[in-house]
Amino acid sequence: MGVDIILKIAAIGILTAVVNQVLKYAGKDEIATLSTLAGVVIVLLMVIDMISDLFNTVQKLFTF
Amino acid sequence: MEVLKIVGLGITICILLVVVKQVKPELSVAILIAGSCVMMIVILKYFTNLFSIFDVIIEKTGIDSELFSCILKIIGIGYLIEFSAGVCSDTGNSSIADKVVLGGKILIFIVAMPIITNLLDIVIGLIP
Repeated sequence: MGVDIILKIAAIGILTAVVNQVLKYAGKDEIATLSTLAGVVIVLLMVIDMISDLFNTVQKLFTF
Repeated sequence: MEVLKIVGLGITICILLVVVKQVKPELSVAILIAGSCVMMIVILKYFTNLFSIFDVIIEKTGIDSELFSCILKIIGIGYLIEFSAGVCSDTGNSSIADKVVLGGKILIFIVAMPIITNLLDIVIGLIP
């Protein structure tokens, strides 16, 4: 729990951009858009997981 | 020493935001949310020893622990509101941030009602 998660998300973002470019040059535009979509979905799932983690710790700590 | 951790985390998040914003703009929002989440969790750790000190004070002064739980709830609400309002205003839509802050204020007022009624009872008791 720290910078590593954020670096992982940034890496996924950059990787999807690269994959998108490569697929676009290879002529497969529809797969490129799908790969971008997949990257965004994966990142959002990780973010949602972190937000639920934050809310649980706050709820436990502040005895809601 | 602990300050360095928070400062370093904040700066790395900002740098990452700038880098990813050029490559993929929509992911910068995700990194912003994840980064502020991590910062909040790191800050939460310092609350725990703060609360142990509060408990000692509560036992010494004998204040009603129900009031203290109200105060804890208010701090928690303020904490979460500050987190979400910050994320909303950073992504550019400050109107939503204002609404979140307004909702937080109203919730804090609702949670604080028992304290106010408690105070009123004491004041009324003083009047002969």
